[in-house]
Amino acid sequence: MGQQMLGQRGQLVKKPRDHEIGALSPTGSKYLAWILEFSNVGVLVVLVVMFTILSPAFFSSISVDNILTETSLFLLLSLGETFVMISGGIDISVGSMLGLGGVAAASYMSSHYSATSAGALTLLVGLVIALGTGALGGLLNGAVIAYMGINPLIVTLATYGGFLGVADLISNGLPIANLPGASYTLGDGTVVGIPYLVIIAAVFTIVLSWMSINTRFGRYTFAIGANREAVRRAGVNLRKHTMMLYGMTGLLAGLAGLLNAAHFESATSSAGATDLLVAIAAVVIGGTPLTGGEGRVWGTVIGALIYTVLENGFVLVGVPAFWQLVVVAVLIVLAVYADQYQRTLRANMVRVVEVQGVAATPVTGGASGGRVR
Amino acid sequence: MNYRAERFEATDGVRPPGELRLEGLVKAYGHVVALRGVSLLFRPGLTGIVGDNGAGKSTLLKILSGVETPDAGTIQLNGRPIALSTPAAARRAGIESLYQDLALADTLDVGGNIFLGRELTKSVLGLRVLKRRLMVTQARETISRLNIDIPDVRVAVRTLSGGQRQAVALARAVHFNAPVILMDEPTAALGPRETAAVVEIVRQLVGAGKLVIMVTHDIPRIVQLAHRIVVMRAGRVAFEVAASQTSPDELLAFMVGSKVAAGGGA
Repeated sequence: MGQQMLGQRGQLVKKPRDHEIGALSPTGSKYLAWILEFSNVGVLVVLVVMFTILSPAFFSSISVDNILTETSLFLLLSLGETFVMISGGIDISVGSMLGLGGVAAASYMSSHYSATSAGALTLLVGLVIALGTGALGGLLNGAVIAYMGINPLIVTLATYGGFLGVADLISNGLPIANLPGASYTLGDGTVVGIPYLVIIAAVFTIVLSWMSINTRFGRYTFAIGANREAVRRAGVNLRKHTMMLYGMTGLLAGLAGLLNAAHFESATSSAGATDLLVAIAAVVIGGTPLTGGEGRVWGTVIGALIYTVLENGFVLVGVPAFWQLVVVAVLIVLAVYADQYQRTLRANMVRVVEVQGVAATPVTGGASGGRVR
Repeated sequence: MNYRAERFEATDGVRPPGELRLEGLVKAYGHVVALRGVSLLFRPGLTGIVGDNGAGKSTLLKILSGVETPDAGTIQLNGRPIALSTPAAARRAGIESLYQDLALADTLDVGGNIFLGRELTKSVLGLRVLKRRLMVTQARETISRLNIDIPDVRVAVRTLSGGQRQAVALARAVHFNAPVILMDEPTAALGPRETAAVVEIVRQLVGAGKLVIMVTHDIPRIVQLAHRIVVMRAGRVAFEVAASQTSPDELLAFMVGSKVAAGGGA
């Protein structure tokens, strides 16, 4: 079965026929791989159609509004997490930074509360505090990872608790209300019918997506995830990049904290607890692999929408809430499986091209692209 | 934008290579002493470095690449001492490297790898933006100039074959027209056709007056190609000779130690 040919080192190598590599021809494999790569868009469309059929109210403007707003609240976390995961790292302290940012800002704002004025200036200061707190937290993460060389998972596991603790200290474990009127406008107001929250999330999505492709910072993020050593040898300042990466993620988390507080009209230290899981799930469902090196900002947006569409759809259709978590879990596994499968398909395609006489040199897998000595 | 201006031009203090001089290089990794005092003089042309595993060849190249720093010893380029403390410093001094493990970023395309760390950018509203199309164009030019068969330079390099990936790493080392090029076993995993292509590129580099240093296991070929050959054994220079005045058998003898030089090479 299969012709025999000589491999590079003179050993006999079987030349596989097309049908011996998976069940599909190379062309079929290519299409399947492409479909799988963008399967999350398809899933989203299917879900929206399905829920609309089951409950027409799903596509009403109120419902769409809810979905978009809810997504916007945790999307900022997901955007930062996307970059972090593309670089091969992870940040599980984003939820705590959200809580800390919100609580720090609210603490200031509520103590400068004025019943008579909207307090736009107070809100502005609160914004600066939220951004600053988040950025500081993120820079702390980045510094420990970069300068002490500790695994990001471990570092952010520690700060997950640490930031939560600080937030509890600031808030005494209690919700902080009495926020200025301007913050309610921010949290619930709209302009031309679109909530401010959605506009803010959309702007950041567009900017960060652009950055990932058109700046050195974005390109190095991908390169580091693919082969950190190669980037080091290319002369890139890895420490600076790490600080910027986690600092940016913290900044986004701090902002998310303020927006959450504005929307829910109070800030708590644990506001970001569930957001953490959802934020990371969105990134994974959106097609960014845990191994890093690749990913798409818009993919994360799709992943985030899939979650909120499911959540809201379940409510409208009357499915009990705890089913949601089960479905999300199943979705994550399916998404990762589809991602890995399309990767294998692509790798097999390369092998077909190779073995068919072009260059009988094995492709070495793995991030380093290295040859074993 | 002037294409040539973005490549390495002879800048202050670094003229086209006259010589690269190493004196007393020592490097140890804990108990293991990789280099025990290596002194060598490299001139333009191809110098081959051969030796058994563990002889210290790769360590020597890593020091010249800036990936490692020596514990003792000096390096002079055209008479001026240089500190190759980082890979970026080595590149600034005009030394390009083709690593044994290629050091490619798999998920980037050919242009992304060639320009890694020195991307072409323009300033837009005070921000540095990548000139993506120009980098793709230049990458394509260099690839075709080197007669490398890569149909689409915009694919991620992990989809390329081993030979094509080697070619991308090689293109990165020659694209910026640097005067000194280090190669660590560039043909080790290549088939005969690709090896011939690499050999041709090395010939062109030598013809252009570059200083090329190649670590290799392919003794017969390096004897054919090189001007000088250095044999390393156990962290020292065991033998140095003009390639035309030696043979693979003699080199092998020095590599394993059955022959010892009386006070230095030819």
